[in-house]
Amino acid sequence: MTQFVLAGVLGLLFAFGTFLVLRRDIVRVVWGVTIISQAANVYLVTMGGLAGSVPILGHGPPDDPATITDPLVQALVLTAIVISFGTTAFALVLTYRIHEEHGTIDLRELGETGGES
Amino acid sequence: MSLVALPSAIAEASTTGQLGTGAATLAQATADPAGVALFAALALPFLGALVTPLVYRALGERTAWFAALVAFASFGLVASQFGTTGSVSIEWIPTLGVSLSLYLDGLSLLISLLASGVGVLVFVYSAGYMHGEPGQARYYGTLLAFMGSMLGVALAADLIALFVFWELTSITSFGLIGHYRESESSLYAARKSMLITVSGGLFMLVGFVLLAFVSGDALGSTTFTLIGTPDSMIANADAMRTALESAGLFVPVLVLVAIGAAAKSAQVPLHVWLPNAMEAPTPVSAFLHSATMVKAGVYLIGRMRPLLVGDEWMLLLGTLGLVTMTVTALLAVGASDIKELLAYSTASHLGLITAGFGFANQLGAETGAFHILNHALFKATLFLVAGIIAHEAGTRAISELGGLRHDLPITGIITAIAALGMAGVPPFNGFYSKELLFESAYEVAHELGGLAWLFPAVAVFGSVFTFLYSIRFLWLFMGEKPAGLGEVHRPSLALLAPPVVLAGLAMIVGIDPQLAVDTIVQSAFGSAVAGEAHTMSIHLPTELTPAVAMSAITILSGIALSPFYDRLRDGVRRLTHGPLSADWYYDKAVYGLERASGLALPRIQTGQFRTYAAWMLGVTSLLALAGYLAAGISVPAFSDLSITAPVVIVLLVAIVGAAAVTRAPSHIAGVLTLSVLGFMVALFYVLSSAPDLALTQLVVETLVLVIFLLVLDRLPAFYGDADRGKVARDAVLAGGVGLTVTISVLVATAGSPDAIARFFVERAPVPAEHGSILADFGGGSNIVNVILVDFRAFDTMGEISVVAMAALGVLTLVAMRGRGESS
Repeated sequence: MTQFVLAGVLGLLFAFGTFLVLRRDIVRVVWGVTIISQAANVYLVTMGGLAGSVPILGHGPPDDPATITDPLVQALVLTAIVISFGTTAFALVLTYRIHEEHGTIDLRELGETGGES
Repeated sequence: MSLVALPSAIAEASTTGQLGTGAATLAQATADPAGVALFAALALPFLGALVTPLVYRALGERTAWFAALVAFASFGLVASQFGTTGSVSIEWIPTLGVSLSLYLDGLSLLISLLASGVGVLVFVYSAGYMHGEPGQARYYGTLLAFMGSMLGVALAADLIALFVFWELTSITSFGLIGHYRESESSLYAARKSMLITVSGGLFMLVGFVLLAFVSGDALGSTTFTLIGTPDSMIANADAMRTALESAGLFVPVLVLVAIGAAAKSAQVPLHVWLPNAMEAPTPVSAFLHSATMVKAGVYLIGRMRPLLVGDEWMLLLGTLGLVTMTVTALLAVGASDIKELLAYSTASHLGLITAGFGFANQLGAETGAFHILNHALFKATLFLVAGIIAHEAGTRAISELGGLRHDLPITGIITAIAALGMAGVPPFNGFYSKELLFESAYEVAHELGGLAWLFPAVAVFGSVFTFLYSIRFLWLFMGEKPAGLGEVHRPSLALLAPPVVLAGLAMIVGIDPQLAVDTIVQSAFGSAVAGEAHTMSIHLPTELTPAVAMSAITILSGIALSPFYDRLRDGVRRLTHGPLSADWYYDKAVYGLERASGLALPRIQTGQFRTYAAWMLGVTSLLALAGYLAAGISVPAFSDLSITAPVVIVLLVAIVGAAAVTRAPSHIAGVLTLSVLGFMVALFYVLSSAPDLALTQLVVETLVLVIFLLVLDRLPAFYGDADRGKVARDAVLAGGVGLTVTISVLVATAGSPDAIARFFVERAPVPAEHGSILADFGGGSNIVNVILVDFRAFDTMGEISVVAMAALGVLTLVAMRGRGESS
């Protein structure tokens, strides 16, 4: 069954993402968040089932709707991809600004000084 | 509810109102109440509260008169419905069967007339009392909202609406008790009353939900409607009781509802918030102790009585009421402050009402209904008198006061009327309801025998102390003026008129109790009785009945004990220290909680990002796993792998990419391997029949790569930490999160309901025959696109705004540096 392979793969991706989120380097934290959101998207697509056909049809409703892959999760994921792009870009620029303001991208240092440098 | 909605409300009211009368066999239905009057009476105080800040700007301290006018309008509207019975409603959450329905009968009429009527007097009194006090706009606004909430409690026909208004009274009283924000004790009192009454309300909510749950069995469909319609809970009290008992939920529901009522009505041991609540300005105390807040609890008991009355009911509430009555009467004797004395006495008299409603005979219900009226009249008077004393004599300490009759003659007279009523001396108003309590306690004891004789014994015992502290209060006006007491001023008309009105009413009830009974108490009593209520007849006793003997014992022992008042007081004070006082437990519990959170805080909120992330991820995983465990979900059995080679290859490369990211020696290497992962995910989308996702993913991945490279160019290289212990710990947490996700995926993909997908697949395409159907159907061949721009277009708009916000944020962060703030 496909789901066992995917479950394993998603577990590993989340584990890598979590590991990165716990690093001191802000850039690595951003990577971790990116990996987790990619994995979450794949998770959603998996839930829609992988067996069906492409949800693009010709004229008129399909003969058998059951043969078509769930279009709803695809619509959700499409939104999610675009939003995670927005947040990644924002997080990166925030990182850049933190470096400009505090001269470091070490989270431990930032946490210890409370951002005051 | 807005005023605009009113016309439709009336339209519906007329139909549902008829249903209400059809069902209202419990009370003697005469006519339907007018929906517009009830809804307006309920809405006016809230609208008034909304505009109070504006009014205050225009009128200043005269806002009191505006508020009094609003209260008077509400009073008039409720009073105009006098004699009507029935319910009116507007839909609120129709899909859940929740509607805002109001129900008017004797009991709710009594409570709402008291709330709005005493409200008028309290506002008038405030005009004199609050002169020069801080925060008046806030004060009047909150007080109006408080009054409105109390009206809501009294009028709600629906358990959900009742609960909402119930908690609103807790919240608004929090603001009123904590009116003096700078005073530590005032804040302590506000927090205390909030904690106790709101948590009591939560118990009550559980009871309500259980009631609604059982109503599904008893009435065919789940309902939250308590009263007023043919399929309400009280209209089918017998069926409800049978269903509750067969589900084994009767006692739990009874206890839960009783906890809510006891917390609100300050029953032992939840009475501790009430004496502290005297930190509020005195008009608030007068209002809170007489006609609102604490009366909500006994109202609920009276309202639930037809539904739940029985042996368990009597054992629980009869005992609770009598214990409260006695314990708090003793505490009142120990009081050193006149407001403290009155506060404990409030708890004591609420105990009397609870005990009255608790007794399972009709006399008990008579006691409760009549004493609600009597207590409101004399207690509001006495609190207003206490305010006059504090205002004009400058002290509230009992030991410093005396001989006030010389300076405050009118106040002295009204105090005598009210205090003798409180003491239960004939022919003052409190005598009659106390007599009813004795009568019903005696009847219960006579019927059951044995231990039930404790009921009348305790009732007499508690009443002796009631007599003692009532006379002590009256003695403030007697005797000689202590030397330390300075000049006592005459109160202004605004301060004096409200207690005079109330004492006048109390006097009328005392002289002609049957008039009060015929006017309102009879119908209020009828609401608290299951089945047909008999006709009440109240007059001064002319022969020696057991109840008269009990009253005589009370008064004579009171007189005999009064020379020893000071010794009794000191004895009570000695007893109420440490673990013997309920306050001790409250303080310890709150202190313990504060300490626990003080200890936990430095571990959870360290200021280190990794701590927050670790707690969040760890706890989320644990909660998810615990949820699976609790729900007994099993992971589907492993079966053979039927997966195509391309998918395997793509996923393997993705994992290698992700693994490489975690071990990347430099930022550039990390970003490039992260891209590998991203492009593999795009390929996975291609393989799983999602071309749109693949296209978007490719575009986004490219853009992200570019942005990363642009930003990394400006950032220093960072080679991370090499702390092995930390890496190992993080790896364990990461492994745990990964495992949780694996299980979640297995559980989630095992069952796949596709009803929603089917809906979209059938409706998205262009219909074979073009026509007006385009309005209902999507009309596109790419279903995903149709969902995004048609079915879920608002979501897409939200998504676009998120991207726009992110872009604005990026622009601000990059371009606006050095403008405004300097580093």
